[in-house]
Amino acid sequence: MKKRFFSLTNLFIIPVCIVLFSCNGGKEEEKVEKQINKMLDSNNVALGVSGKMFIIPSPIQTAMLIQKSGAQYNKSMLNGTDKSNSYSTKFQKCLNLGIYGADLGYTTLYDQTQDALTYFNATNKIATDLGLTSAFDKNLIQRFQKNLGTKDSMLVLVSAAYRASNDFLKNNERNEEAALIIAGGWIETLNFALNVQKTKGNDDIKRRIADQKNTLKNLISLLSAYSGNEEYTELLQKLNDLRTEYDKVEYKYKFEQPVTDEVNKTTTITSKSDVVISPENIQTISDKIAAIRTLITA
Amino acid sequence: MKNKILIASFLIFNISFLFRAHAQCDTIASVCAKHILAPYISDGQQYRALLMADQNAEFHTTFYGGGTYRIAACSGLKDGNLVLSVYDDERNLLFTNKEYKNAPYWDFKVKSTLDVILEATLDGAQSGCAVVLIGFKQ
Repeated sequence: MKKRFFSLTNLFIIPVCIVLFSCNGGKEEEKVEKQINKMLDSNNVALGVSGKMFIIPSPIQTAMLIQKSGAQYNKSMLNGTDKSNSYSTKFQKCLNLGIYGADLGYTTLYDQTQDALTYFNATNKIATDLGLTSAFDKNLIQRFQKNLGTKDSMLVLVSAAYRASNDFLKNNERNEEAALIIAGGWIETLNFALNVQKTKGNDDIKRRIADQKNTLKNLISLLSAYSGNEEYTELLQKLNDLRTEYDKVEYKYKFEQPVTDEVNKTTTITSKSDVVISPENIQTISDKIAAIRTLITA
Repeated sequence: MKNKILIASFLIFNISFLFRAHAQCDTIASVCAKHILAPYISDGQQYRALLMADQNAEFHTTFYGGGTYRIAACSGLKDGNLVLSVYDDERNLLFTNKEYKNAPYWDFKVKSTLDVILEATLDGAQSGCAVVLIGFKQ
């Protein structure tokens, strides 16, 4: 039996059900069960789809790949921190928090201490506006400042801040905001990859761009749960348009038996996958991502 | 009347289960985080599910080729309470910790990008919180 993702809101809705159904005669159990299932299913949508949770890979992974490619640090790809005061709605703030978070990861990976501090401050500012003060507490800020220039420690701290934000939002029934932050981070990192592909591209980056096909599908599922909100209409329309382009990317997969090393607690997954993505595909994806990013950051 | 009492009992049980399980989740997540240490970098999220004995949780994600991932899977305050199985999206089993005493964490070296399903099931407990954490290194 598939699990159901529970939420604290259920704790308040369920007692209401007791009152509601205690007034009705006959088949109460069936009705109550249906109502509970309905509530739990709606909560599933908030966290995932149909009892499944879709995980969007960390943007840091793609930023690492870009740095490994030998591409030069390019500050012009980042969202200017001077705009951090101009985002007024929760929707804008969350998406741009994701974008600034990815920018912070990028500057950190490239050891750009001063820029990292600037992006940390921009991230901290929006996080504070959103009430995420427990995620960006004084201790974290001090640790970040103390570790400036120590890339590995800073990456761990960036990751810790991201996790604390995410936990805070989810624990406080703010899954929508968590989903928007994730979306912002994903869009910004894909934009990095597409920009680098134009100048210092290689097969690994091209592959990583193509690999976003399934992640995009998951992201749309995640955000569609909130599509009733007017602000989402244009974003979802553009993401679905991007998906149409990604549908042209061919993906082939062949399962092979993995190899497990019990002593080192490691399994090597040897299955093979191939993708076919044309230069025209990449150009169109690049144009569409740039348009989505402009929609968010303008 | 008897039906109403039964329904109320059922609901009260569910409410009490939810309260206890949510509190458990926070503690379990903190304990589980000790398995994602350097050189692994956490993906910055916690994946949680409140489970009954006959339920499983599915987490769908992508493992990128060339990467090494560490998956930590915990339930309860001691290690070994959660069965974690990893499948590809064709449902071929890639790994299950059931064969390794429900090891609380495992590393995966990935040759080629693939979509995976992480499936978590309680081992023995009637109910509890399942926490899955993901770390990676290049």
